[in-house]
This record gives sequence, C-alpha cells and structure tokens, in this order.
Amino acid sequence: MSKPVKTDTKELERELRVLGLGSPDLCFQCSRCTSGCEAMKLLELQPHFVMASVRSGFIREMVNSDALWACVGCYKCRERCPQNVSPVEIMYLLKNKYVRSGRSIPGDYQTMLQNLMTCGFIQKNIEVLDNKGNLHERSELGLPEIEGVSDVSKFMELISRLAIEKICGERV
Amino acid sequence: MNKRIGLYPGCVMPTEQYGYEISIRQVLPELGIELIDVGNTSCCGAPFKNINIFMQTYLSARNIAVFEMKGLDIFTPCPQCNLSLQETKQRIEGSAELNERILTMLEEEEGLKYRGDAKIYQTLDLLHDVVGTAALAEKVIEPLDLNIACHYGCQTVRYTGAERPDIAEHPMKMERIITAIGGRTGDYSEKLNCCGGPLIITHRESSFTKAGEKIKAVKDRGFDALSIVCPLGGRVLDSKQDKASEMVGEKLDLPVFYLTQLVGLSLGKSPGELGIDLNRSPAGRSLK
Repeated sequence: MSKPVKTDTKELERELRVLGLGSPDLCFQCSRCTSGCEAMKLLELQPHFVMASVRSGFIREMVNSDALWACVGCYKCRERCPQNVSPVEIMYLLKNKYVRSGRSIPGDYQTMLQNLMTCGFIQKNIEVLDNKGNLHERSELGLPEIEGVSDVSKFMELISRLAIEKICGERV
Repeated sequence: MNKRIGLYPGCVMPTEQYGYEISIRQVLPELGIELIDVGNTSCCGAPFKNINIFMQTYLSARNIAVFEMKGLDIFTPCPQCNLSLQETKQRIEGSAELNERILTMLEEEEGLKYRGDAKIYQTLDLLHDVVGTAALAEKVIEPLDLNIACHYGCQTVRYTGAERPDIAEHPMKMERIITAIGGRTGDYSEKLNCCGGPLIITHRESSFTKAGEKIKAVKDRGFDALSIVCPLGGRVLDSKQDKASEMVGEKLDLPVFYLTQLVGLSLGKSPGELGIDLNRSPAGRSLK
C-alpha cells in the first residue's frame, strides 16, 4: 500500500514558490483542467487526478506515472484553473523528478539533449522536399547561416552542469 | 513605422520550417521592420521544461541577454520560444533566489549581462500591433481571394499573464490580419484545439491523429486553407500532413500557409519568393 510522504510535498511546494506558482492544496477538484485537457481523450491524462494525488502527498506515485508524458503543454489547465494552480507546471516538476532519478527518458528527448550539447539547438539543419519532390538544404534557399553559440565545447560543459541543477537550491 | 528588432530564430524554424523564415525575411522589412541577425543564440530550452526547468530558465535567460547586450528588442517567430522567454523574465523578476542564481551563472559562465527589459514580440503582435492592420491594408496589391481558417497555436495565446499577444479564449488578431489583406475568414469550434505538434517527441502516432482531426475539422467547415504562425504546427499540419491523413483514414489535402506567406502574397510577392513551394500541403496549387 502506498503512503503519503510529507517531505516530498514540502519539496514540491518550495519549487512552486520559486516559480511563483500556487500550491496544489488550493485545488478543490472542479476538474476544469481535465475537461479541457488536450491529452485527455486520446491519451487519458487527467490533471485533476494528478492534483488530487499530489495534494495528498502521493508524489512518488505520480513521478512514476507514464500519463504525465502525454501532456502537450497547451496551458489550458493553467488558464482555466479558478484557484490559480498550474497543473501543467506541477507536471513538469514531477517529470523533472523522474529524470533526476536517473531512469531512461521517454521519446526523443535524449537525442534532443545530445544535439543541444553538440550544436546548441535541438536538431541540426534538415534537408527538405519541395512540392515537386526535389531536396533542398538550408544553404541553397538564400537564407543566411545561423551563427549558434560562440564556444561549442564550453557550451557543452555548461549544459552538463545545468542538467544537474534544480529549480531551488538544496537549502530547506 | 520603422523598427529595428533582433530575430531570434529558435530551433525548429531555421532547421526545417524554411518557408516560415523565408517569408518572414521577405515580408517584414517591406512593412518597416528591420530584422537583425545576431550570433551566439541557442535553443530557448522550452522542450526541456519536461527534463529540467532550471535548465530551461537559464537557456531562455541567456538568449534574452544576448539580444539585450546588443540593445535590441526580440522577435521570436516561434510561440514556444516566446512563452519560454516571457515566463523566464517573470520568474527572474519574481524570485530573488532565482534572480541571483541565474544572473551570477550567466555572468560567470558566459560573460552575459541580463537586464530583463527587452520587449519580446511574436509574429501576431508584430503584424497586428506594431505594423498595424490599417498600414498593412494600404500596402496590399493583390487582395487574397481565399477563405482562411486561423490556427493560433496553444502557446501563442496561453497563458494569460505571460504577455500574450491576444485574448486566450477568444483570439481575433489573425482574423483581422486576414481581413486586412483581403481574405475571408470565420469562426470554427475547433479553433483553439491543439495541433498535436509537441506530442511528436513522445507519442508520434497520437501527434498525427490530433493534427489530422484538426485539419479534418477545418476542411469539413468549407475553408479553402489554414493559416498558422507556429513552426511546430507547421511540422505536423503541413510537412507531415500525409501522416495525419493516414491516421484519420482520409486524404486531407488542405492547403496550409504561414501567415507571413499569405501577407507576402497580398503584397504582390510570388509563391516562390515566399517559400510556398516548400509547403508539403497543396498550398501552391490552391493559388492557381
């Protein structure tokens, strides 16, 4: 049986304060977040359920929930919450905790992180087809070269350092 | 109206949504907006909110600082980048702890000085508020003869409080721009629905299903084409519309344009000059 963990709740509330966001304690389960959720119909994400669990201290259970990764980041839940709670951002923080636990990151994020480190952007220039089926590179299209980060190897070190930082320092 | 503004390209537009960038570079200078390219930009961090919000905040702050050190306001064609930069400004302003950590790190790691007073624009407010619909209408040579549905994109208008260019639940600026350039437009009940774009990272098929449902709704309501301002939207609604078609079991064939391409057409530019031949949906065909 799962038991609520008070210290997890305290940590989440501290993170929310740093971001200037309200505590999930304020949620009274009106479910407006879920009724507008873009990932509800197709992928069964229910933000009000996540809020209820988090509010009761079942944070570890939510950190381990696959459903959170279905969030599209549409911000309708934040927009429509009558209590100024932001389910979308609470879910980001829960996913951050999952990533910190060292388990494998879902989807293409690992590749995107790799690209971020090696070129400063989430992907390198892609060759595209025009509507006649001919391939084009960026450089042939009359577009200027994008000058990315000045010092790539320093930037790579910086990203590795950033990846282990938390939104609030260790102070309690 | 003349304005100099720094162009912050982000990641998706300059690496694959070339038609958006081509049309932006063609159209905005003609409307009195001089675009300045600066070096040393990077990803804004928006996709990494899922991974590490501190990293996202730092990355957005560093890009703001890069432009501020050149004394420039910022134009972010990508709404995700725009939200990430805007919310970062607010977070740094609202938390002394975050302010100190981020500013110190920027200075020590990259020699960057952050002030947080640059204005950050999107395509929509740049066209509607800075150029203005009346000034835009005066420049029209070829009024648009199409009935256009407007797709704003989630983060273009949400969340209220992060300096969005339009009202979250009832945005109308894109419609007013379409009308100013001679086009017809109208409301549809799926207007605020998500295109599925961000889902491509973790739930590829669902991403295309959402795109397909959106396109189908627009088509079923009799619009000729769809107008967008978001490169992630462009990826699923236009570039990968064939995949979206497969998911909803129907050949969709809906012409999708970037708003800046439509504005360019009305200014008398050719589809080729606006990168419309790079749209994978039948955008070019709809003009003949």
